[in-house]
Amino acid sequence: MPSSTTLTAPASYKKLGGTLELTSSALIWTPEGKRVPTVQVPHAEASALFCSKEGAAQVRLKLNVLGDDQGHNFTFTSHNALAERDKFKQELTNIIGRNRASTVSTPVSAAPSPLPLPTTKPKPTTHTPLQQPSPRAISSPRHSSRANSRAPTAPPSRPPEDFRLRKKVLINNPDLATLHRELVIGGQISETEFWAGRDHLLLAESASENQKKGKSGQLVDPRPETVASGEIKIVITPQLVHDIFDEYPVVATAYHENVPDPLSEAVFWQRYFQSKLFYSHQASIRSSATQHFVKDDPIFDKYLQVTDDGLEPLRQRNEHVEKIIDLMATQEDHAETGNEKDMTMQAGRQKGALPLIRRFNEHSERLLQSALGDAHDAKRRRLNASDSLESQILLDDLQDQNNSNGISLDMQDRYRFFEGRSDRSAKNSLSPADTMAGFTKMTEGLRGWEPALQTLKLDKKSTDGAVLAMTESVAARLNSKLRKSDIPEHLLRQMTTCQTAANEFLRQFWSAFFPPSHELQTAATSTPAQRAAKATKMIGFLKKTPEKIAALVQAAKREGVSTTRVEAALQPLSTSVQKALEFYNSRKH
Amino acid sequence: MKFNIDDLPVVFPYDRIYPEQWEYMCDLKRTLDASGHCVLEMPSGTGKTVSLLSLIVSYQQFYPTKRKLIYCSRTVPEIEKALAELKRLMAYRIEHAETEEEKENERNFTGLGLTSRKNLCLHPEVSKEKKGRVVDARCRDLTSAAACEKGRVNPGSVPLCDWHEGLNELEPGTQLGRGIWTLSDVEQHGREKGLCPYFAIRRMMPFVNVVIYSFHYLLDPKVAEQVSKELSKDSIVVFDEAHNIDNVCIESLSIDLTRPMLDSAARSVSRLGEKIEEIKVTDASKLQDEYAKLVEGLQEADAARDEDAFMSNPVLPDDLLKEAIPGNIRKAEHFVAFLKRFVEYLKTRMRVLHVVAETPLSFLQHLKDITFIERRPLKFCAERLQSLVRTLSLTQLDEYYALQKVASFATLVATYEKVGFLLILEPFETESSTVPNPIFHFTCLDPSLAIKPVFERFSSVVITSGTISPLDMYPKMLQFTPVVQETYAMTLSRNSFLPLIITRGSDQVAISSRFEVRNDPAVVRNFGSILIEYSKIVPDGIVAFFPSYLYMESIVAAWNDMGILNEVWKHKLIFVETPDANETSIALENYRRACDNGRGAILLSVARGKVSEGIDFDHNYGRAVIMFGVPYQYTESRILKARLEYLRDAYRIRESEFLGFDAMRNAAQCVGRVLRGKTDWGLMVFADKRFARSDKRAKLPRWINQYITDTAANLSTDMALVLSKLFMRTISQSSTENQTGISLWTLEDVLKAQEKRKALEIDMGMQAERDEEIDEDEYGDSGLPDEILAEMEVDP
Repeated sequence: MPSSTTLTAPASYKKLGGTLELTSSALIWTPEGKRVPTVQVPHAEASALFCSKEGAAQVRLKLNVLGDDQGHNFTFTSHNALAERDKFKQELTNIIGRNRASTVSTPVSAAPSPLPLPTTKPKPTTHTPLQQPSPRAISSPRHSSRANSRAPTAPPSRPPEDFRLRKKVLINNPDLATLHRELVIGGQISETEFWAGRDHLLLAESASENQKKGKSGQLVDPRPETVASGEIKIVITPQLVHDIFDEYPVVATAYHENVPDPLSEAVFWQRYFQSKLFYSHQASIRSSATQHFVKDDPIFDKYLQVTDDGLEPLRQRNEHVEKIIDLMATQEDHAETGNEKDMTMQAGRQKGALPLIRRFNEHSERLLQSALGDAHDAKRRRLNASDSLESQILLDDLQDQNNSNGISLDMQDRYRFFEGRSDRSAKNSLSPADTMAGFTKMTEGLRGWEPALQTLKLDKKSTDGAVLAMTESVAARLNSKLRKSDIPEHLLRQMTTCQTAANEFLRQFWSAFFPPSHELQTAATSTPAQRAAKATKMIGFLKKTPEKIAALVQAAKREGVSTTRVEAALQPLSTSVQKALEFYNSRKH
Repeated sequence: MKFNIDDLPVVFPYDRIYPEQWEYMCDLKRTLDASGHCVLEMPSGTGKTVSLLSLIVSYQQFYPTKRKLIYCSRTVPEIEKALAELKRLMAYRIEHAETEEEKENERNFTGLGLTSRKNLCLHPEVSKEKKGRVVDARCRDLTSAAACEKGRVNPGSVPLCDWHEGLNELEPGTQLGRGIWTLSDVEQHGREKGLCPYFAIRRMMPFVNVVIYSFHYLLDPKVAEQVSKELSKDSIVVFDEAHNIDNVCIESLSIDLTRPMLDSAARSVSRLGEKIEEIKVTDASKLQDEYAKLVEGLQEADAARDEDAFMSNPVLPDDLLKEAIPGNIRKAEHFVAFLKRFVEYLKTRMRVLHVVAETPLSFLQHLKDITFIERRPLKFCAERLQSLVRTLSLTQLDEYYALQKVASFATLVATYEKVGFLLILEPFETESSTVPNPIFHFTCLDPSLAIKPVFERFSSVVITSGTISPLDMYPKMLQFTPVVQETYAMTLSRNSFLPLIITRGSDQVAISSRFEVRNDPAVVRNFGSILIEYSKIVPDGIVAFFPSYLYMESIVAAWNDMGILNEVWKHKLIFVETPDANETSIALENYRRACDNGRGAILLSVARGKVSEGIDFDHNYGRAVIMFGVPYQYTESRILKARLEYLRDAYRIRESEFLGFDAMRNAAQCVGRVLRGKTDWGLMVFADKRFARSDKRAKLPRWINQYITDTAANLSTDMALVLSKLFMRTISQSSTENQTGISLWTLEDVLKAQEKRKALEIDMGMQAERDEEIDEDEYGDSGLPDEILAEMEVDP
């Protein structure tokens, strides 16, 4: 199995939160905040799978392991637990199916130990996954999400995946589903044919599916709420703790050094939220004022850092900055001259705002790095330095682009067409002298003209006629608007179905003759022979279309609906079907 | 693309050209032909630099006189970009040259950029220093003529710089090869070959065709004397991005002194005294020699001034060099005593606890009354100090920095005694502070003084920028007469940018950064909601500018407390300009990464601040710019007040007019950074009710103003959002109409336009003749415009 089968989902095990992962070789569960997995089930050991019923309060999955009747019980915890569980279920079912097949042929390979030593295994697939170089098999949840976000659009390549995507597209797209039911389930065209030319839908679906939601951009800023009794309360969730540790490593240090001894977890947090450390971390300029009422705390005050409000940051960074955004270089380009800037233009006079501003910049940078990575990027950037300078100055639209070679127009009787055109244009074009003459004549003619609208008189009869005609047309329009569609519902539906089905046949037919030039990477790239066969099949369907139309007309007659209207409605369709038939016949001969 | 303007063949390194670029080049050519000066305003992002370089290089290569091009820009990023443009242009010219001879000619064309030692240094220790001043001093210790001499005679006795030594074996003019070198190229080359980039460039200067550096290298006499002295008079001088040129001029002749500086200067003076005593014992002849030379006059004394000069005279040398140093400061010990007295005098002046403003004349008079120091020796102070430093072969000169400033101050105050300068002593930093922290400002009020030598010396000076409206302001302030003065509209086949003026919030409360209301919670909240709403609808990057650092810092804190930023974090990352340049660069880099990645970010920064100068926010780096408030200067500043008064008295420019002009040019500058090329698009949001006034709008460049519709000139936030969304929806459609021929010209269009212009000129000539014949008949004015008539005749 390729490594792309990796699935991850938050799931709890023995009432502990964590992450369940299915890698190419094993099922792994890692408790939250740890890096080493505590449960590992190599594929070869999975023996049976049980699931909770749909609609049950908890979404559970139980995996039985060879030689261990207890099995492992996982509860999926995320909001779309059901969908995730189904994915796992599907994959695991496959694995177990294969296991059963292979146990028959090679019964030796199943060793009765939950954590087998790699050396005892004859097959490489049963090695413990942590030693494998596969980039997906990383244990911590944060890392794996990073790996995924970097390659968000892996094109679907395997049939079961494809099938699932198709199903999803159909569910999201009722019209398409109707057509699909009509044609594919009705057996008129095959599944593959139906999806040929619709790859973009699948691609879009898989892209949107693979896109992981990144970290929220908001600052970690727990604000105390005052509850009814007048007490101040902060709700601490595991997520909040994780965020605080992430944002302020110093709190993590303090936690590791002081919990459980001398402080218990609860006391730790209580004292943290009352300490100066917390107020210095709070993203508020008012925090400086709080120093007066916050008590000293011997434990937390140790971790207080110097406020970073100098003109130069405490943490100096000597990173290479591209020349085109290097502000330092401009500052040091020449000796300082001139008078001091006025009070409002001296940066950093608002001491209280500086730590805040620095926090914003750092927070944004951290978010970026969690999504993009750091070191790798810096190296790449340096390599592209000269390229990027070039691209910074280039004006794209001033350059001749090589126009995309569209489908050239294949015209019949091209010669005659151009001939006729040039004839006409020759006739129309006037010599400059003629133009000038005409112009002078017109000027002459207009010279004596004066606006005299008061003397304008209109013939009564013609005015009346015009008004009458207008009224009539307005009335007719109103009439037609008011009149309800008198085609019965079911007939209308039949007509629509006939229309969409025939359209689909037409699409298939024409795409068999003129495959789209920018062929997407699909499995359905067909050979000319296949296409010819497809065209023949389609033409078979299309030939029946006039009969269908006739049947509809008959039905309309029975219903007492004017047949001409039905015919008129289906006229464009029959014309295009006719066209296709003619084309097919002309090609054949 | 190749075409002719009159008889000059021009090579333009693209296949198409914007009509503006062509017109710009025509006007530039006129200026060069007339050997005069010009002021040109060209819309931002329409390829000003490339047109400029393309025309001037064509000019240089076509005419045998080979006038040198001195191209000045504001910031190092802009210098680097201009060099890259030039490099690209020359590569194109080489590729498209017809004969082998021409190719060779193009290959010999050399262009360089110059910046400070700090930016170019490769020495492993010296380059680590943070301050440019310290790098300069340490570099001098390793590379000065005296050190080199000693070090070469007796290797190892004095530490020398290997990179600098590496240059000595090379012939002058071959330190770098021919061709165009960007700053990074030179650095790379230096690293590979073990050569000092800074000195390589300095020594190549006389041999190059184009030199690109910052304004200061030409305008600041202290620097200009060192690096720009030898440039020939027929050179073409270009000031690109020159909208702030008057400020650079003023800065280069202004000086501040503080009490710590005077203390440090006093220490340096006593150290000088000790040195002199020392050298009297060891090597008295040195001082004797110096004295003898000074008697003869400065010119001879400094016959061999070279690149290791420690400091130079803050005024242009011609005034001074012909005179001999006055007798009373010729002797070293006399000069030291003289300096001591002067420093003491300044210290006593600092003790005053009320604000003093006086003219240089009254300062000199008072000085003379108290200390008997005359004007003449004071004027030679800087020059004399340099001579002494050289005689004593001092090292670690950065410690003498304060003394150097005092000497420059003395020379300036004694030279410009008459008009255009003012001395202001401010004992307290702000109105409310009680601890004195006195600053003695010597401030230049007249920008024309610093630029005057440039206009006098060079025949063609081009002043150009994207935002230099109103055009007549610059000739007035800088005191010159341009032969061409032009602003270009922007031709667009569809509006690629949308300027909007938001005058009130969705709650109809007027918004303004006016001092009285700027901290009003309703205004702060309304500014905040503009930010939130735009962060929701605009893709990629948004740049927001505030009128001052003080305001930005306080509003960021207020927004955070109001929870406004929390809302913004949901949609975009936030980066803020900080006081430290390096820190801000890193923030900027991350901002660009966030824009590239699609996460999107907001950059909060300050108009006239570090980021607003020279950093572009084109394409995805800036889909919207928001100006929060009108970037007026701080009108309570005494220096500004003095300057306004001077402008009124000397040039009849009203205070309000200047302030409005200054605010709008900075606003336009910030907003103009979003565009590069005509396919780029962006929103320009002006959020302040004062932008809606017609006098403010009239001061915006024409190319922006022409696209502000009446509906867009007075909007509330919600209305502005509707317009913005509509605009973005429209602009995201791929454009159906073909730009070619309207906002984009092919070679044929250029030829057609040329013919049209010629026809028009002939027509106008005829018209003029006809007008003379039939004097009072206004027949010619009615009917179709001339252009249409002309076209009718040309087109079949």
